[in-house]
Order: sequence, then C-alpha cells, then structure tokens
Amino acid sequence: MYLYSDMNNPMRNEAIQLSKVVEISPTTRHEGHSKLVLKVNDSGIVERGDWLSITPVRGVEKLAIGKTMEQVPKIASRVCGICPIAHTLAAIESMEASIKCEVPKDAHLLRVILQCANRLHSIALHNVLILPDLYIPGTDTKINPFTKEEPVRTVAKRIQRIREIGQTIGEIAGGEAIHPSNPRVGGMYRNVTEHAMWKMYDLAKEGLVLAHEQMEFMIAVIRNFQKRDWTEIGGQQIPIPKTLGYHNQGYMATDPIYGSSSLDEHPTWNPARWIETRPWDWYMGQVEINYEDPTYPVGGTTKVGTKAWPQIEACTGVPTYDGQPVEVGPRARLTMFKNYDEKGTIGQHIARQMEYPDCLYSIIKCLDILNPNGKVLADNIPQGDGSFGWAANEAPRGTDVHLARVKDGRVQWFEMLVPTTWNFPTASRALVGAPWQLAEMVIRGYDPCVSCATHMIVVDEDNRIVAQKLMQ
Amino acid sequence: MGMELGKYKTCVSARSTDKEIVAKAQDGGIVTQLFAFALEQGIIDGAIVTGLGDRPWKPRPFIATTREELLTSRGTKYNVSPNVAWIKEATRSFGLDKVGIVGTPCQMQAVRKVQLYPIGMRDVPDKIALAVGIFCMENFLYKSIQQLVEDHAGQKMQSVKKMTIGKGKFSVYTERGNVVALPLKITEKYEQAGCHVCLDYVANLSDVSTGSVGSPDGWSTVFVRTKKGDHIWSKAIAAGCFETKPIEEVKPGLELVTKLAHEKIHKNEIYLNKRASYGVGKGLRNPYI
Repeated sequence: MYLYSDMNNPMRNEAIQLSKVVEISPTTRHEGHSKLVLKVNDSGIVERGDWLSITPVRGVEKLAIGKTMEQVPKIASRVCGICPIAHTLAAIESMEASIKCEVPKDAHLLRVILQCANRLHSIALHNVLILPDLYIPGTDTKINPFTKEEPVRTVAKRIQRIREIGQTIGEIAGGEAIHPSNPRVGGMYRNVTEHAMWKMYDLAKEGLVLAHEQMEFMIAVIRNFQKRDWTEIGGQQIPIPKTLGYHNQGYMATDPIYGSSSLDEHPTWNPARWIETRPWDWYMGQVEINYEDPTYPVGGTTKVGTKAWPQIEACTGVPTYDGQPVEVGPRARLTMFKNYDEKGTIGQHIARQMEYPDCLYSIIKCLDILNPNGKVLADNIPQGDGSFGWAANEAPRGTDVHLARVKDGRVQWFEMLVPTTWNFPTASRALVGAPWQLAEMVIRGYDPCVSCATHMIVVDEDNRIVAQKLMQ
Repeated sequence: MGMELGKYKTCVSARSTDKEIVAKAQDGGIVTQLFAFALEQGIIDGAIVTGLGDRPWKPRPFIATTREELLTSRGTKYNVSPNVAWIKEATRSFGLDKVGIVGTPCQMQAVRKVQLYPIGMRDVPDKIALAVGIFCMENFLYKSIQQLVEDHAGQKMQSVKKMTIGKGKFSVYTERGNVVALPLKITEKYEQAGCHVCLDYVANLSDVSTGSVGSPDGWSTVFVRTKKGDHIWSKAIAAGCFETKPIEEVKPGLELVTKLAHEKIHKNEIYLNKRASYGVGKGLRNPYI
C-alpha cells in the first residue's frame, strides 16, 4: 500500500500497468452512490482498493453560512434521510457548544431517547441490506429477506416491527422519525406527556424482546457465514479469507451511546488531532479498466477500456485523526468502551448486532428518570460571540462531528465530519487481501451512508480552503 | 337542491342524557358527550377540542385526554379555533394512537385531506379515529366577535355567558341576565372573507356532524355519515348516552337545515363564480360534487 502523491512519478504508471483494474460501479445495498476501483493480482486478490463517493456535492456547509443558528441544524438534517437525527443533534449541539448553552436535563434525556430510537431502526434496516450476503445455516441457500417463505418471513416481520418501534419512539420524542422537528438550540420545543412517556416505555419493552431475538438470529447467521469456506457470487464459488476486512487502522468513538461536545468537562474528541486531506492526495490517479466480469451481480462490472480517475471523481474529503484514517461505527464504540476485539467484516457485523439491546436499555433508563413536566428549554440562550464549538454524535454508522462558529445568532462557519467520510479511506485499506468479488461485502460491513459523506470543503496544510481548485 | 346535506346514514334530533354536560352545552351537548363516551370506551385516547384561551371567549384548541378536560370545552365560541394545527402533535409528544377531532366543515375537509395526501403528516392518517363536524354558516375572527359584543351589543366580553346564532339573530346573554339580539345583517360584514368560498354547511366529510339548526331548543340535529361514525353512534345510543327523536317529528326539522344549507351554498357559489372571473385559474372546484 502506498500513496500516489506525485502524479509525475513514472513508477506510478508502471504500477498501474502491472495489476488488473476492475471497477464496481455503482455499489449496491447501501445509501447513496459510491464505487470501487480495485487493483487485483492474477488470483483476483485486491492489492489496492479505492472506495469513493460519487454522490454529487450538497454544499450544506456553504449554505449554512449567514443562516440563523436555529435554521442550520434543520438544513444539516436534510443532508440525508438515513441518520437525520444524528445530523440534527450534532448540528444543534455544535451551535450550543459555540454559544455555550447548556440544555436542561429532561431535554438531554429526550435527545438520548431519540438517538437510541434512530439507532435501533437503523441497525434493523442494515440487517435487510446484509442478509442477502448470508446463508440459511446448514444450507447453501442465500437469504432473500423479501421471500414469503419461513423462516425468513418471521425474521423480516420482526425487522419491520423493530423499525416501527424505533420510528414511533423517535416520532414521540423528536416530533418526526425522519428530520426530527422537536430538537432546537437550547433544548427541545416540547416535553412529552405522561401518556406518551408510558407509550414509549411499552414500545421499548416490546422492542427489547424482539431485539434480543433478532440479535441472536443475526449473530447465528453471521457466525455460520464465518465458518464457510466459500460464498457464491455471480455463479462462482469465491473463497472467503479468514481475515476478510482486516485493517490496521485505529478506531475513533466518543461515547458508547450518545456523544460528546466541547462543552463537556472531559471531551472525548479533539479537533487538534483532526486533519483533512484532499482526495487528490489520497486516491489513485487515472486508470483504465482492463478486467471485467459480466456475471458479477447486478449487470456485471464496468466495461474494459473505461477510464476511472478516483482522485478527481471522489466527492469527499479524507479526514485523518492523528494523521491516519480511522474506523468509526459500532465496532469502534465497542472496542473503545467495551474491550471488544474482533476484527474484520464479521467483527463489525457482530458488533452492530450487539448494539441492539443497548439502544433499548438506554431508552428505558432515560424514561425511568424523565420528568414529563420538566423544563426542556434553557432559560437563557446566548446568541454567540463567534467562538469555536464542536459536538460529536455517535450516529448508527459512527462518529458524526459538527463544528461551528456562531456570532449574534448567525452561523459564521460550519463543518460536518460525518461517519462514512471517516470510514472511506479506512474501508479502502480493509479491502486489501480480499477477493475482489467480496469487496462490496467488506464495505457493507461499515453500513455506509454515502450521501452525507459527500463534501468538498477541504483545507490544506495552511488551513486555506482549496476545494474550489478541485471543483474547477 | 338535493345534495346540500351530503351523504348520511341516519339523521336524528338528540341530546345528551348527562346533566353535567347539558348544563353548559350550547345545545344538546352532542360533541362533548360523544367524545366522553369514546374516551371512556377507548375508541379514542384523546380529542382535539376548543377550550378557553387567554382572553374571554377566545378559543384555544387543546388535546383533552380526560372527561374533566373535555368538560372545560363545552359550548360554542364563535371565532376561529385552529384545531387541525394540533393533529400532528397529538400523535407525537402526546403519544395518541386514536385521535378525536371536532371542527367546522372546512376543518373536516382539511382532516380528510391529511388522510388522503399525508404530506408532512407521516403516521397521522391512520390515527384519526373520530372526526366530528359542526354546522357552520360562517366564522369570525376574535377582533370581529369582540367588536360585535362590545360595540354593537354594548356588553363586556368578560360578562358574556353565552352567544348563539339562530332565528336570524346573533344573541348575547350575560351573567346578569342581559340579552342583546343583533340582526344578522350587522354581523355580515364581520364574516371571515375565506368563509365565502365554502360550499359545505353541515360538515359533509365528518364521521358525525351536528348543530342546533333543525331541532328544538336544547336539542341538536345529528347526521351520522360514515361506517365508523355509525359504529360509535350506535354504541353510544345503546349505552344510553343520548335521548333521540326522529328528525321527522321535530320542528323545524330537516326542511330548515336544507334551506339554510342551500342558502349558504347558493350564496357562495355566486361569489365563487365571480372569483373565477378575477383571473386565470382563480376558480375553485367544488369538492362536494
């Protein structure tokens, strides 16, 4: 693995000629548009993989400038519909961190409930996306989550009920399950009624049983997959390496459940350790596809002769923590806070399932202490003096950090460092050593959500914005 | 003539058998009694009703989840109460699964529209369990009703006990026994302009609609319109919540309701046709035909 930082290096071109290049575009069963450009050896093993976002840039950070601090989190939420709750909460809390506003306890509890409800629904949704990769134990039949046949039907119904429970709790605590309307700078617009509180409690109790069942089911089928020697893709038996998805990058997580912010006494994220790199410095230069497989589902890989230029096409920055890409997400949380040590794609899937009951236990814990008559809006909401504030929210797929400067109620500067942006370069490294046909399976382990990961506001070493240069 | 009263299964003259409800009811206490019964039976777990606002006779919509709360909403307040504004919140921070709502014909239209096209109303349509409509000729803004009571009738809003519109008069009754009746000619210019495009008098789109017109004093005319409405109404009758009389046997009966409905629709149709000539695409389609 090495970086092609020098475009004029003749060695680089030579390296391209030696490997076969295969491209999977678009990748499937995740949110947003991304593609894989893979350099593979003669046995089809990935030597270098570049996974990049090709979702068009949203420009939310630019849009935010000059808007009121109340507006920006609502706009930030619209970056994607899969974890809008994480974006809303991170954006609101970054504003609060900048203006130095502490929210009442009950407002915070409602936010945690909302957060867990979203995570619950998101894990269940991801189950649907990965089940087609897995097998019914004891058979060579892959799981089709949409079949009417048992035992899959029961599982599908359970998944939908878990999602329904998550979304209903989210609706009550947050006003909406998608793009929550209740959270605001300074707390929440409304507290819930006692009736609503007990409704959430009942739903969480029901969900807890289902989540335990679903977790056990998922772990069983994932472990079953782990024991297999091969998996069928496009009519071929592809060997499964025991080290599928392994990488040697670090992990980053700020909290097992919720997050952290610069207002905390002991913040668990440090902006000084974060450096954003340009995709130009990170991804491959121009390559020509010289290998294709028309049997690869669905519709085959990209045709031979097509040109790919990841450096230019990638629509993300490359954030690094201590100079290296890091993994964020369920495994990072479990590794950082619960001594979890299983690596690779399987480890990621198992970690995600293990978060199922945590979501519901946290909801129940919060409901136990929530006071439905309590105040949910801070008495004094300062308008901000332009100081720097950040807030990290542990979205279902990893740490979502928003950074802001607010002055006189207006946002002067806003930045979103979203989970999949952190995971892009890490997952690219995790591809090495896997058969190229399994590359999509590796990235699915990150539960990627590519839309929000799309950003072009990148700063160079002198912290000047250089994105414009790339966009020209 | 013919479609003024909309579709309905049954029509009766009724009043509540509950003394407490009737004591402060506008007429027969139909809405309060029906919601109280539905609450008690678990048919609804809350109802959006009109309570008292921060000023005398200013309505404030709120979500009643107990009989006591319902009782505070008895009686008609002749000005705008944005009940539909609460319909989403009822299913959110109030956590209701079965919502009852009372409203004027235009509000019933909005409720049904929410159910048909739930834009911005995710998970709301299936939670509307009972929509009760009230007859409405036109509505007033708070300032208008204040001017009618304080300037035209010469009474303080605070001392008013009841207001009624009937028999061609807008009547104001005070706590100390004053009664002032204003001819409707005076109230006309205070009517909300928006009411003049409405082609519904008897809340055609509700599950159950009710109003004083057509029945004797202290009684209300009730139209049971939908299967859902019929189910709840029959249960309430069986539980002895209402005493009823066949509408054919009461005076003035359906004839007056039809006449007033026709008057409203005919008058507003003329206005609508006039509006259609204002410019391109300004005409409104009649949603009831």
